[in-house]
Amino acid sequence: MLRGAKLGLPVFLGYVPVGAAFGLAATAAGFTITQATACSALVLAGAGQFIGLAALTSSGNLVAALIATGVVNLRYVLFAATISPHLRKVPRWNQVLLAFTLTDETFAINIGDARAGRADRFSMLGVGLISWTGWTLGTLVGATAGSALGDPSKWGVDFAMPAMFVALLVGQITRRRELIAGALAAVTALALSLVLPGQWPVVVAAITAATVMTAVPR
Amino acid sequence: MTSQLAWGLVIGMAVSNIIIRWVPIALLSRLELPDLAQRWLGYIPVSVMAAIVATQVLRPGGQWMLAPDNPYLLAAVPTALVYRFTRSFLGATATGMLSFLALRYLLG
Repeated sequence: MLRGAKLGLPVFLGYVPVGAAFGLAATAAGFTITQATACSALVLAGAGQFIGLAALTSSGNLVAALIATGVVNLRYVLFAATISPHLRKVPRWNQVLLAFTLTDETFAINIGDARAGRADRFSMLGVGLISWTGWTLGTLVGATAGSALGDPSKWGVDFAMPAMFVALLVGQITRRRELIAGALAAVTALALSLVLPGQWPVVVAAITAATVMTAVPR
Repeated sequence: MTSQLAWGLVIGMAVSNIIIRWVPIALLSRLELPDLAQRWLGYIPVSVMAAIVATQVLRPGGQWMLAPDNPYLLAAVPTALVYRFTRSFLGATATGMLSFLALRYLLG
């Protein structure tokens, strides 16, 4: 578990500022500090929480907000399916905890570790636990500090999520075929964003790129 | 925002999230996946990350930003390089945020 926590430390440090940005945004939208922190502690979905909050603020419609966050989080179905072969021997209650702490970052770390043959359930739980702590703590700090920090974009928070994803992407590209898959997905997503709303371009582009790469022989 | 609405969002998102993440694991960890499906799933992570990066960098906030002085696009370069050569997630994220701040300041 300690090894996992060590592996997850960069995620912790990355989640604190982004979690703080969510805390700021949530309290600005009318959440109490308890609600904002509970949201991060119970949901643990970066982009999903931002989208859900934005949708609720703009529409005031809870159902619309829940659909928006559900669609943004659809990619987790793909992540969960990808990591599941490595969780075959893990007890069910452990699987629930690992599912709960499945995020883009913990997934990238655990799948890399699992494919290298090093991950076990304790290391994966360690990665999840430290990431959850960073996200929840960050939100608490952001929600509490509130206006004292001023405009969050002043601190470069706008680029915190893109920067994390860029690093994750570079880490995923180890072979030529992965590079091709990534390029294909990127172009497809941009083209689809002309016609599809929200996070749909990402979901459809990923499915398209993976299907093409599987269909085309090596 | 009413307190009821805020709690509704918190609980609703919590429930939908655990379902989305746990159901595929519960079903698929009991079955042996065919080779073809495993290969397909192998391409999913890189495809998702690439699609997210492309849209976040070229369409930040849902608006096209194709000009060469796009700070999101330019800041992605040092971020990628730092990660490529140091494998430090934190170093890459910090470099990205700092270069983004510097670029946004320089480019107005």
